[in-house]
Amino acid sequence: MAERTVKFEVKRQSGPDAAVVWDKFELPYHPGMNVISSLREIAANPTTVDGKATTPIAYDSNCLEEVCGSCAMVINGKARMACSALIDNLEQPVKLQPLTKFPIVRDLMVDRSVLFENLKRVKAWVPLDGTYDLGSGPRILPQVQEENYPLSRCISCTICMEVCPQFNESTGFVGAATIAQVKLFNQHPTGKVLKEERLHALMGDGGIQECGYAQNCVQACPKQLPLTRAISDIGRDVIIQSVKDLFTT
Amino acid sequence: MATAVSPAVTPPTRGVQPLQAGEGHSFLLRRLHSLSGIVPIGAFLVEHFVSNFEALKGPVAYAQQVRFLNALPFVRVLEWTFIFLPLLYHAIYGLYIWFRGKSNVVYYPWAGNWMYVAQRWTGMIAFIYIGQHVWRQRFSGVSLPEHPGAAFHKVQMELSNPWILAFYAIAIIATCWHFAYGVWLFSAKWGITPGDKARRKMGYVCAALGIALVAIGLSSLYAFVGPWYKNAPADLTPAQITNGESTSSAPSNEPPASK
Amino acid sequence: MTIGVQCVPQSKKGKFEIMAANPRIIVVGGGLAGLSAVIKIAEAGGKVDLFSIVPVKRSHSVCAQGGINAAKNLKGEGDTTWNHFDDTVYGGDFLANQTPVKGMCEAAPGIIDLLDRMGVPFNRTPEGLLDFRRFGGTLFNRTAFAGATTGQQLLYALDEQVRRYESEDKVQKYEGWEFLSAVLDGNRVCRGICAMNLRTMEVRNFPADAIIIATGGNGALFGRSTNSVVCTGSANAALYQQGAYYANGEFIQVHPTCIPGEDKLRLMSESARGEGGRVWVPRKAGDSRAWNSIPSEERFYFLEEWYPKYGNLVPRDVATRAIHRVVFELGLGIDGQAMVYLDLTHIDRATLDRKLEGILEIYEKFVGDDPREVPMKIFPGMHYTMGGLWVDFNQMTNIAGVFAAGEAEYQYHGANRLGANSLLSCIYGGSLAGPKAIEYAKSLPAAQGDGGHAAEKKRQEEINTGLMHSDGTENPFKIWRELGETMTKNVTVIRYNKALKETDEKIYELLERYRNINLSDKTTWANTSFAFTRQLYNMLQLSRVVAQGAALRDESRGAHYKPDFPDRDDERFLKTTKAYFAPDVDEPRFEFEPVDTQFIKPRPRRYDAAK
Repeated sequence: MAERTVKFEVKRQSGPDAAVVWDKFELPYHPGMNVISSLREIAANPTTVDGKATTPIAYDSNCLEEVCGSCAMVINGKARMACSALIDNLEQPVKLQPLTKFPIVRDLMVDRSVLFENLKRVKAWVPLDGTYDLGSGPRILPQVQEENYPLSRCISCTICMEVCPQFNESTGFVGAATIAQVKLFNQHPTGKVLKEERLHALMGDGGIQECGYAQNCVQACPKQLPLTRAISDIGRDVIIQSVKDLFTT
Repeated sequence: MATAVSPAVTPPTRGVQPLQAGEGHSFLLRRLHSLSGIVPIGAFLVEHFVSNFEALKGPVAYAQQVRFLNALPFVRVLEWTFIFLPLLYHAIYGLYIWFRGKSNVVYYPWAGNWMYVAQRWTGMIAFIYIGQHVWRQRFSGVSLPEHPGAAFHKVQMELSNPWILAFYAIAIIATCWHFAYGVWLFSAKWGITPGDKARRKMGYVCAALGIALVAIGLSSLYAFVGPWYKNAPADLTPAQITNGESTSSAPSNEPPASK
Repeated sequence: MTIGVQCVPQSKKGKFEIMAANPRIIVVGGGLAGLSAVIKIAEAGGKVDLFSIVPVKRSHSVCAQGGINAAKNLKGEGDTTWNHFDDTVYGGDFLANQTPVKGMCEAAPGIIDLLDRMGVPFNRTPEGLLDFRRFGGTLFNRTAFAGATTGQQLLYALDEQVRRYESEDKVQKYEGWEFLSAVLDGNRVCRGICAMNLRTMEVRNFPADAIIIATGGNGALFGRSTNSVVCTGSANAALYQQGAYYANGEFIQVHPTCIPGEDKLRLMSESARGEGGRVWVPRKAGDSRAWNSIPSEERFYFLEEWYPKYGNLVPRDVATRAIHRVVFELGLGIDGQAMVYLDLTHIDRATLDRKLEGILEIYEKFVGDDPREVPMKIFPGMHYTMGGLWVDFNQMTNIAGVFAAGEAEYQYHGANRLGANSLLSCIYGGSLAGPKAIEYAKSLPAAQGDGGHAAEKKRQEEINTGLMHSDGTENPFKIWRELGETMTKNVTVIRYNKALKETDEKIYELLERYRNINLSDKTTWANTSFAFTRQLYNMLQLSRVVAQGAALRDESRGAHYKPDFPDRDDERFLKTTKAYFAPDVDEPRFEFEPVDTQFIKPRPRRYDAAK
């Protein structure tokens, strides 16, 4: 009986400006294998299906349990985390591509630093006076914690941005992840001291207004963040803020 | 020794650029686009549909409605400020929005994503339709503000072409769709319906609104091409409009809504 | 020019001394320890350069699930920091130096308050106060938690504070740079680091007055572990080869409850047991019935039977050995396989979702079963490195100017770490290392000449050139796989001297084969396998420290268990193992240092009765 195998097609690019090539690989099947374990298998024996020696595939990964946000890629046409992509649940050949909205570094690696820059621009932090002992933090009711906690689970994988039709170079849209963080910090008893600044930031070009409400973000988010809810809530807050601005400036 | 090293992390030079925090006017323009779709354009749309519904009562009633509207104070100013200019803005900025989005419904065929695409196509259909509709009905041929009595006949002539009739029907559906989903989008984006439940309920409301408008629109259309008011007079005199008399041949059938 | 080194008038002494008024500190590693060091330095006005292989928000700290310990005593149990201290020392089988552990436990409540102020979404009581849960190795509800993703929440809170300092230009991040070595001057004083850009593969030196190593543990030595990909121990191993002591390397925590996987062992947090999860196997060997048709009297809740006092919440080493015994000695593994049940199905869904959603989701996603409906199948896996760079009570290694904090150093957990103490030790160690590094740097005389920069850069570039021109036959990924298999088999739960000796010989063989390596990718852009191959050499060197250290310690203590020496031997081995690299023979040499036990007298460690 022929040994069961898994076929892969990987979109590769040796550098940001290099030509695109598709390499095909075939691996023996193991129960429980996922895309990452397959990429490792390829690295241990980087030979394409036609016997051509090639380089191991470059990709980002770290925790492998869907909490660090590193290994987002396009698998069979859909952006998702590679570590949780079980081969058993994928159609073959398994097609791997880098995220399409971010600059390519190499193969499946892309540069997603724009998200971290965006988090800076909306001041996504609680402005502490200092780390010295100032006693316990503000009391927060469990209901509030339960509303904030899901937003705090964002892993910065950028999948919400990848799948968003509005996130592209001409809109410069900030994306759902950052808007969700604005909501998170605006709701914190201390964090909300920067609320107006954050709302004003989100009124800039590429801000919340660019959202087209296609709702792909909330569909694709691997951590099921309530992203559309955050966009609506912040959408209301920016409107209220802009009306306030109209009458106070 | 310790010369400043070039920063290791800079904003990416390629790809989507970071948020321009607090800069630019796109917020105002985009929100104006969103708002203009509801008020005044949406409001006018409803008014226009209701007015046209008068056609079911026949040429005279229709002419009365046209005359009434054209007799409003500052009607030309109102017309330009609350209809034509907002429409033009909504349409052109809408095209700009469409042009800048990159649809990916092929890869992510989800309901919301389909609606995103539909909103753009229906907007486009509405734009083309409204453009020709305004040109042909308002700015060419018999001037209806001056001859409200000619309104029914003018529309009837237009719709006598089956292609135009089909175009009107499609455009009415597209426009109502665009408006109803626009209301839904507006309430979602402006934070009126933030929760999933609220948005679902709003979905039912907007669907009902859309269906009602389509029903009104299509039945008005039927008034012009149906059997009731065949061969409406080319024009009615002001007296005829005022007195509610029609010199044309009597309607072949009494319409249900006729007085 | 030199950074911040200038003549400062000392008003009291009335003379001039050379010192760094505004010292520049390099922090290597962007996990909890690294970030808390950065925050402390930036707050004190120092200049910080932060180096990390991955964007710091993707550091391994995100994987910590259960919580963080602090004796806040908010549950009316009379808990005290002394109790916390005692539990930690006792749990670590008295191998930890007591002074720093005491300091950590006393600082813990303040650390929780700080994290709370930073916005960590800790779970709350109805009054809006912090909620605490029970964790392994204690009888108190002492563990603050944010759902089942506490590490992630803590890391994000610190990451946000660092991002704030970054936007104020107080911190310069170098993400995507890998630490290669410390730059040491003629007096073996650290003057900076040599690092490699993982995209351009450029090797560059960065000057600093002190460096803090916070690069985490070394799970990769064991192939598959619960650690992240970047946890190779490479930075530690590089420093060890440069003369730093590596302490207690043989103490490796194996977590009792992991989900076996092809690419990694995914952690099933201790909080699953903290919330009432029960570990069991069918009483009868080879019982092939489905779990739900086995009546409770035919289920063997072995932890509850063997350790009635702590039950399912015995410390990790005890639980791990019990599972090993049940599976390998009694042959009671599920379906004859190396797995036991971890059962949550008796707890109602809503409670599970509220308290454990994050970890249950992981199981559901990676295995495909819903642990709310079906008991999970778990097995122990390598989890935590208790050992690490030797540091003094100021977090400084034996190399002047090289500090270490977090899992990368050895000092807080002794022979076994208690659950929810790691996050605490990372934050405490980092926030101690930061100010201590500044203090040290402020009195550091300027370097002679270039401080050794040119020589170190040349050395590292030569290593790279050598690798790039390698034309052997050995595949680095295959060497790594063999290393991991050997280490997991012989140097984890149960250790025999014969197997340890074989392991060291195997590693020696792998090091020989490494010299005949073949790089399948010789490009100079984002070459991940090149970077990995560099790390692999360091991993091999460090593995010998672990294996040989384990061989030398003829006793059983905490995570280190030898059936041939089943008892703790305080006379001979109440000592810290200190390995140092002997370049002439290219292998480790060992010293032993007495343990500071001034506060609590060592006593037998038992979890089958009250301590």
